[in-house]
Amino acid sequence: MSLTTGPAASEAAPTKTPVAGKRSASRPGRGPVGRHNLHGWLFSTPFLVLFGVFMLFPIVATLVMSFTDFGARNVTRPLDARFVGLDNYTQLFQDDTFLKSLFNTGYFVVVGVPLTIVLGLLAALLLNNGIDRARTFFRIGFYAPVVTTIVAVAVVWRFVLDPSDGLIAGLASELGFHAPDFLGSSTWAMPSLIAMGVWRNLGTVMVLFIAGLQAIPNEVREAARLDGASGWQELRRITVPLLRPTLLYATVITTIGYLNVFEEPFVMTQGGPNNATLTVSLDMYQQGFNFFHMGYASAMAYVLFVIIMAVTVLQLRLMKDNTR
Amino acid sequence: MNRVAAIGSITLTLASALTLTACGGSGGAGVAANAKQTLTVWAMGTEGEKLGDVAKEYEKTHSNIDVKVTPVGWDVAHQKLVAAAAAGKLPDVVQMGSSYLGEFADMGVLEPVDTKTFHQGDFFPAAWQQGSYDGKTYSVPWYVDTRVLYYRTDLAKKAGIKAAPTTMAELQQDAEAYQSKAHTKWGMDLKPSGLDTVQSFYPFLYSDGGGILNAQGKPVIDSPQAVKALDYYGSFFKKGLIAKSEQPGYDVTKDFNTGNVPMFLGGPWMTGLIADNYPGLKGKWAVAPLPAGDKGSVSMAGGSSLAVSADSTHKAAASKFIQYLTGAKGQADWFKRTADLPANRAAWDSGTLATDAEMKIWRKQMETARTEPSAAKLTEITSKVDAAIGAVTQGSADAKTALTQAQNQIAGLTK
Repeated sequence: MSLTTGPAASEAAPTKTPVAGKRSASRPGRGPVGRHNLHGWLFSTPFLVLFGVFMLFPIVATLVMSFTDFGARNVTRPLDARFVGLDNYTQLFQDDTFLKSLFNTGYFVVVGVPLTIVLGLLAALLLNNGIDRARTFFRIGFYAPVVTTIVAVAVVWRFVLDPSDGLIAGLASELGFHAPDFLGSSTWAMPSLIAMGVWRNLGTVMVLFIAGLQAIPNEVREAARLDGASGWQELRRITVPLLRPTLLYATVITTIGYLNVFEEPFVMTQGGPNNATLTVSLDMYQQGFNFFHMGYASAMAYVLFVIIMAVTVLQLRLMKDNTR
Repeated sequence: MNRVAAIGSITLTLASALTLTACGGSGGAGVAANAKQTLTVWAMGTEGEKLGDVAKEYEKTHSNIDVKVTPVGWDVAHQKLVAAAAAGKLPDVVQMGSSYLGEFADMGVLEPVDTKTFHQGDFFPAAWQQGSYDGKTYSVPWYVDTRVLYYRTDLAKKAGIKAAPTTMAELQQDAEAYQSKAHTKWGMDLKPSGLDTVQSFYPFLYSDGGGILNAQGKPVIDSPQAVKALDYYGSFFKKGLIAKSEQPGYDVTKDFNTGNVPMFLGGPWMTGLIADNYPGLKGKWAVAPLPAGDKGSVSMAGGSSLAVSADSTHKAAASKFIQYLTGAKGQADWFKRTADLPANRAAWDSGTLATDAEMKIWRKQMETARTEPSAAKLTEITSKVDAAIGAVTQGSADAKTALTQAQNQIAGLTK
């Protein structure tokens, strides 16, 4: 993309193109290239400034902070924070609360991601082939939770899960069962939040899958059917393999989202009962903003970052398309 | 990366604050009280909304002073104060929540109170203590709150309860009676777990003679008294007298109205809340002093105080304004406007405050009420106790184990 016109462009172009391999060759012509670059830099300044101030600086500052004991006292005297090396990190892995939150986050991801993907695929398949009538209605229905604010969602889900006069408790008592106190029991609180998380994120995954499904050429399906493939075989051998790129994308995105899970426990349980739903992000929030252990919280952020990175890379490796 | 960015943005605020404070750190002399000036005041919640009216009254008699009140919501108050402290932009006068003081005093952003102008003896002891940190006083008590017992009198009759419980043992018997004879869903209400559960536990802890920190600021939460109190607190849950879980933002008055919860420990603002929201409940409920434990009926003291920021250039005028708000006359006026309990005891000697039977209960409770000594990390310290209470009410640990663990954690948080 050449943004310059006139002499600058015509001067710059010949110096660059013939010696594409040798970068140093463009150095002597510094003046015109500098100007050429200047235009580019000018155009990207708004982005660069915003990115630098709101992304790059915080990210670097957090990294630096994670090696200090930055706390409430340092609010007025930031430079008094001491460098403590890897202390925050070693302390993290002896912190029972953090380990518990790590486990809880793992629980949420390991159960939540497959559920979201499978149910999302199911919904997409049904909406793509099965249901003809009221298709838009169902699409909106499944997608609505994605665009609904979490506060409204919390109100509804609290009603659904309420142990005394909630929807599930009411249905259960009609049928003669006794529903557990979902959010109040250490055993049931996490599954309840997972259910809520899956419900909230199903729509996104479904939309991705619908788009993926519509990209599968009909000829392939037809050929399979002519060869006598059953519905199940068509799904296993044709649809899923051809959906692989979409599947990979949906899995990666969902996993990253779930590793960062914060809103569900924040609005529903505040991490309780007894830390049963305390996730890494929530723990980080409490350490950082309730107790102002900024150094410690920053270290937590970086541990989570590394985990997310590792899991994503692993997924990309494992689900790489090997057929090509 | 969301969280990284969020925490990082705080860093950004702090970093920019550093440069600001570096330029603007003057403090020092300031303006005389009778000079023309604008006084900035931050107050929280309802107080923030009502203080504006008082400020207008004040301006009438003090024409040289323009009082600018900014209401701040309680939910964002702490973060706003921290950010303002970091930026050196605290207002001249700021309302301090009882648990904040240690933290901000420790940051060095509050001006010590002149004890010649404000006298300790004028205020409730626990209220005055909340303004002290490390042997110095940083804020003047403004209004107080404490916890007493609210109970349903109509259901009490059904349950065969003749008078309000006077001892902790009676409290549980009555809760059982409500549940078994008056068929209420629960026997009473106490917070099972989560942040600030400790506020619900303080009355039990103090009445049995326990505490979290002693006068020297060292943790004593594993004392036999504390263990006994928590054991007792937990027994309500074990016996199914109280719900083991509670939604965030739970409003007990709703269940009090339906009769699901016939007793709870509540603060002074609840009286107005019940009267306003459930007029049908009139005459069917009453308040009573907190039932006594081994060491009598000792409730918790809360409330807010007023502090002057260390950077303020209007310290003289700020002090005058606080004198007006915390003086007997200003306090009585404030009670009429907000029904907040006055922190100044002289205000209780006239009017409704002196004659009303219910008010006498509040006053008596407040005289003996206790509070934790201010500590820089008080919020974090109490959060460890919250966790211990949660473990006991959920049945995952006994009181002794849970409190020993809390004791060890808190030991690392005190000086």
